[in-house]
Amino acid sequence: MVLYLRELARNRKSFIIWTIALLLSDVLMMFFFPTVYDQSKSFNEILRQFPEALASALKLNVLNFGDVLNYFAYVFQYIILFSGIFAMMFGAGALSREEDEKTVEFLMAKPVTRNYIVSAKLLAVLTYLVLFNIIMAAGNFIAFEAVKKESYSVNLLLTVIAGNFLAQVTFAATGFLISVFVVKSKSVLSVSLGVVLGTYFLSIAAGISDKLENLKYLTPFEYVSPAVLVTDGRIEVVYLIIMVCVILLSTALTYSFYNRKNITA
Amino acid sequence: MSVIEISNLTKYYGKSRGIEGVNLQVEEGEIFGFIGPNGAGKSTTIRTLLAFIYPTSGNAKIFGMDCFRDSARIKKNIGYIPSEVNYYEDMKVKDLLNYSAKFYKKDCSGRIAELSEVFELDMNKRIDALSYGNKKKVAIIQALLHEPKLLILDEPTGGLDPLMQNKFFDILREENRKGVTIFFSSHILSEVQKLCDRVAIIKDGRILKVEEIEKLRSNKYKKIKVEFRNGDSIEDFNLPNIVNASMKNRVAEFLYGGQINEMIRKLSQYEIENLWIEEPSLEEIFMHYYEKEVR
Repeated sequence: MVLYLRELARNRKSFIIWTIALLLSDVLMMFFFPTVYDQSKSFNEILRQFPEALASALKLNVLNFGDVLNYFAYVFQYIILFSGIFAMMFGAGALSREEDEKTVEFLMAKPVTRNYIVSAKLLAVLTYLVLFNIIMAAGNFIAFEAVKKESYSVNLLLTVIAGNFLAQVTFAATGFLISVFVVKSKSVLSVSLGVVLGTYFLSIAAGISDKLENLKYLTPFEYVSPAVLVTDGRIEVVYLIIMVCVILLSTALTYSFYNRKNITA
Repeated sequence: MSVIEISNLTKYYGKSRGIEGVNLQVEEGEIFGFIGPNGAGKSTTIRTLLAFIYPTSGNAKIFGMDCFRDSARIKKNIGYIPSEVNYYEDMKVKDLLNYSAKFYKKDCSGRIAELSEVFELDMNKRIDALSYGNKKKVAIIQALLHEPKLLILDEPTGGLDPLMQNKFFDILREENRKGVTIFFSSHILSEVQKLCDRVAIIKDGRILKVEEIEKLRSNKYKKIKVEFRNGDSIEDFNLPNIVNASMKNRVAEFLYGGQINEMIRKLSQYEIENLWIEEPSLEEIFMHYYEKEVR
């Protein structure tokens, strides 16, 4: 409990900054919806003229800008990228920061097991991810109510947010595992950005060409693509299984490797 | 009862040597010095005891419990001062001490107040604004606040001014009187001599010798340097207790461990240009032990 609370306190500032930044960009974009709605006919027209590969890569082909959920799905594609970065950096930073700043000696001289350390930090990251998604859900709900022209399905909105949450946990869990081996804050930052941006581009590549279609299994951005979710209404089972497996496996390996690690900071 | 029991402890970092076949026993209530030059394996030994790193082979026990399996339980009663102090930069001194105290599930506020008084530490300063010596004071208080039964100190005096060092030693003696066992690692012989009952000397990852400090004190070596006027040589001295002798031009250098009077009588028989009698550096004493070991 001591370490859990400390982790929350330590990351509070950066959590607040990330959340405000992403919430504001999201909600501000949503407030453009009435304008987009008025011109949605010509908008959709223009989009139809995009090269097909580009349109499908950016998921523009399935979206109807006259619909608030569809418009949200378009906006949220970008939000989801940054919330992935945020999750990955929180996950990868939790354990590695103690080593990078050499405070790990202090911590490990306390009467705590390594399992306790990993658990407390996992829980703190998870807490912030839950909190982040609750805030995003609430913020978007308010924005939806303010800008909607017709009724919409709140469930679909929540499905997109749930998808975002799952992708975030997947990134955070992967980040935890990586941070057992990569501890320098600069490397942690570049690896985190590399993984998230890399998988984001994979999802674009998967949309561009049929030959690359199988890449979609490698990228969480494809699993929880907002455009797909608002159209299909659910996350595909196979993707759910992949994410749950990655999360469980990364977490288990993090415990296992961290317990055996030589702390030589 | 042995508080620390290390048997055949070996640690390799990949191929490079940490420690090799270390055997040590520290008894309850003693102040045990652990001395050796930099890179000898002092910190490796301590880090293994605290389960920061795992040994390549061998095992270690503290309070009769396994250092690796029961590490968390053992640490309830350990206070540790690292050689390099690194704390959370967003914390003030009092934040860090309170945070540290929370891990022990007992009220340490009285102890914190008392110790910060002794060390004249400003509790409201941010940690990253502290000087090296002041950070060390935080580390000392942090190690003592939960009244541990065993103190593990890795070169704890670095950065402390002589006044604070004395206060620190007084506190250590007082803790020791209360029954606290102290494992004191240092590369400074004089501070170990001041404080410890027994001392282990480590070099190149191996324990060279475990000796009672009284003995070390009694065969105290002096470093003597003599410049002869004529072509004399110390070969002719024919005195016991001369080690590490070397002769360059007309200057002889050696360590002398016998009665100083005998040496002076001997020296008076020669024509001498110059004479220096100094405390040997630790390194030279090590060399002495080291050479004995090789022979």
